[in-house]
Amino acid sequence: MRDIIVFSGSSNPELTDRICRNLGLPPGKVELKKFANGETSVHFGDSVREKDVFIVQSGAGHVNDLFMQLLIMISACKMASAKKITVVCPLFFYSRQVESQASKRGVPRGAQHRGSKVPDSVPQSPKLPSRANVRDPSPKSVLSQRAVSTHSSLKTLHTNEASIANPTGYRSWIAQSGTLIANLLTSAGANHIITMDLHDAQFQGFFDIPVDNLLSKPLFQHYITNYVPNYKDCVIVSPDAGGAKRAAALADTLCMPFALIHKERRQKVDTAQAQSELMVHSNPSTSSLNSISFATPGFPGRRSPSSASNGHSAADQQYVATTMLVGDVQDKVCVVVDDLADTCNTITRAASLLKDQGAKYVYALITHGIFSGDAMRKLKESQIDKIITTNSVDQAAHVAELDAKEMVILDVSRILSEAIRRINNGESVSMLYDHGW
Amino acid sequence: MGIQKFVFCFHNVELILSLGLSLTPVDIKRDSNKEVSFSIGESIRDEDIYIIMQIGSGIVNDKVLELLIMINACKTASARRITAVLPNFPYARQDRKDKSRAPITAKLMADMLTSAGCDHVITMDLHASQIQGFFDVPVDNLYAEPSVVRYIREKLDVNNAIIVSPDAGGAKRAAGLADRLDLNFALIHKERARANEVSRMVLVGDVTGKTCIIVDDMADTCGTLAKAAEVLLENGAKEVIAIVTHGILSGNAIANINKSKLERVVCTNTVPFEEKLKLCPKLDTIDVSGVLAEAIRRLHNGESISFLFRNAPY
Repeated sequence: MRDIIVFSGSSNPELTDRICRNLGLPPGKVELKKFANGETSVHFGDSVREKDVFIVQSGAGHVNDLFMQLLIMISACKMASAKKITVVCPLFFYSRQVESQASKRGVPRGAQHRGSKVPDSVPQSPKLPSRANVRDPSPKSVLSQRAVSTHSSLKTLHTNEASIANPTGYRSWIAQSGTLIANLLTSAGANHIITMDLHDAQFQGFFDIPVDNLLSKPLFQHYITNYVPNYKDCVIVSPDAGGAKRAAALADTLCMPFALIHKERRQKVDTAQAQSELMVHSNPSTSSLNSISFATPGFPGRRSPSSASNGHSAADQQYVATTMLVGDVQDKVCVVVDDLADTCNTITRAASLLKDQGAKYVYALITHGIFSGDAMRKLKESQIDKIITTNSVDQAAHVAELDAKEMVILDVSRILSEAIRRINNGESVSMLYDHGW
Repeated sequence: MGIQKFVFCFHNVELILSLGLSLTPVDIKRDSNKEVSFSIGESIRDEDIYIIMQIGSGIVNDKVLELLIMINACKTASARRITAVLPNFPYARQDRKDKSRAPITAKLMADMLTSAGCDHVITMDLHASQIQGFFDVPVDNLYAEPSVVRYIREKLDVNNAIIVSPDAGGAKRAAGLADRLDLNFALIHKERARANEVSRMVLVGDVTGKTCIIVDDMADTCGTLAKAAEVLLENGAKEVIAIVTHGILSGNAIANINKSKLERVVCTNTVPFEEKLKLCPKLDTIDVSGVLAEAIRRLHNGESISFLFRNAPY
């Protein structure tokens, strides 16, 4: 292979090493660090002039830092006369923003999580409270009132309702970052994107450059046929309606039965009443601490995952989520398939529902295991018997943490390196949609 | 023309108050996977939007992404014009290809702001004013100099002072200030081994018995300032005061200042450093929010901004 060089971002150097080993290349020399003030610095040690440059960066971890680093790397390569710059991004940045913006009722995704039956993740943004403190002692009443509604540290349903409950009847405009991310990559100088199991296939349309969306389906197929005993008797389960197509495709190929978990969200309490209650508490005279303590009773953190199937608890007055299973799993081995597991609410809830419905054993097949927040704790406590994920996200820390439960990491580097080889050679990539690895 | 609205401001509440406007309620959240989500609580259709973002040290990249997402959300929400007010322009120091294959990140920032949908940028004391040329949209580069001049006149002994530039790059800025104040001017020449590090320093000019005012556009780890103060005192200076526009004060800057021979370090509030003010008794602030507020008012009303290059409002 001529004129090819593969660089690694700081998100997943191990994956890059594997890709390079498959390609028989040394990874490109690049020095990634930060200046004292937090700005990212990139220095390439290898020439990229007139070369086919591939930059591997996965969108998990400190996403914004990694994304900026990627943009700076792309831009530096472009300015250093690279012939073509291809971004290899197994887990795409901000890929969930598009669909997850709002439900049918326009409730932001964050709010949906509040109604869930599984303990929520603790928000991992330590900067926020101090920021709020700075703004709180503002002298003018108008501002402090507004400040309550913009209070970023209160990640509850109530704050979302507050911003929605505008006297003008305006419903919050929610940022959709898909096109922005695409435009940023293109304007930085990317010529081609390789990604894997995009959460939304429509994301490809946001780009003006080619996007190759590789699939992990063949990997999972291979795993199921070779490692799941009597796989023909197992049931493929999609944990939500959004993933039904993906799971059904897998079930079809393997001639396996298919089941679906459907989440239904009903409003229990009149929202107008809830909002008037909220207005009292977001009064400028009360401090922000009050509104925090008000918000806590609704915070669904104190319920056990086992009450998942019939959770009409008194504490949860805003929304009642009923999950129901479509299909039969009695005494069956279930294989839950999803493209992405972040806080693991969906997947752990699905597993406990399946066990309630008489499932014998639950496998979870997840392409991108981000496992942020306290996801690992949830997985440990959950009913899932075996987790199968890929190394599209660096899993070293997760494997170390999850000792009791068996965790299998499948290797995606071969698919990615073959795609890189084919793109470099100008061969067709479509063979990779249905390989047998 | 719609009523002027502000989308967001993290720290600079007094700036908004001085314009007599209210903030648009917005909600910025960091998801547990550290992605940013953003929503706007009232209609901004056909409004003139100003997004004020103070970017200091630490979470620069998060702030940049937040800003871009906010700009893009405003654009898709049919705002008429979006102005980013960035008192301290991020990545301003990476403005040239100083090594082979080094990124010109300031140019990347410009491209990103434009492609996110930014129509106008207001900033202050750009590290290199040429960065304005990286943009395809108008950039108003304001100066902290009028505010600094006022501070020196009001709070320092002007008659026995001398302006010192800590490096050759800042000579022009320091000389300009010296001219405004009708003071003498000295220069420290330094040889830098690596970024954020200082090596040998040579003083050019006479500072014996004078109050030295070191002027720079940016103070990061403050290693340069501390070394410069030592050099000046060795050469017989009476006392040394540093005035910088952007007090980023990252790393162990506070410790450096506290143990240095600097009498005082004065920064404008382009970068938030309230909490550092408590840790370091030598720090002092110049408020430039009035300059920014006046620039926003003039920009919104279509008036000339160049008045602010020489004069500080109020």
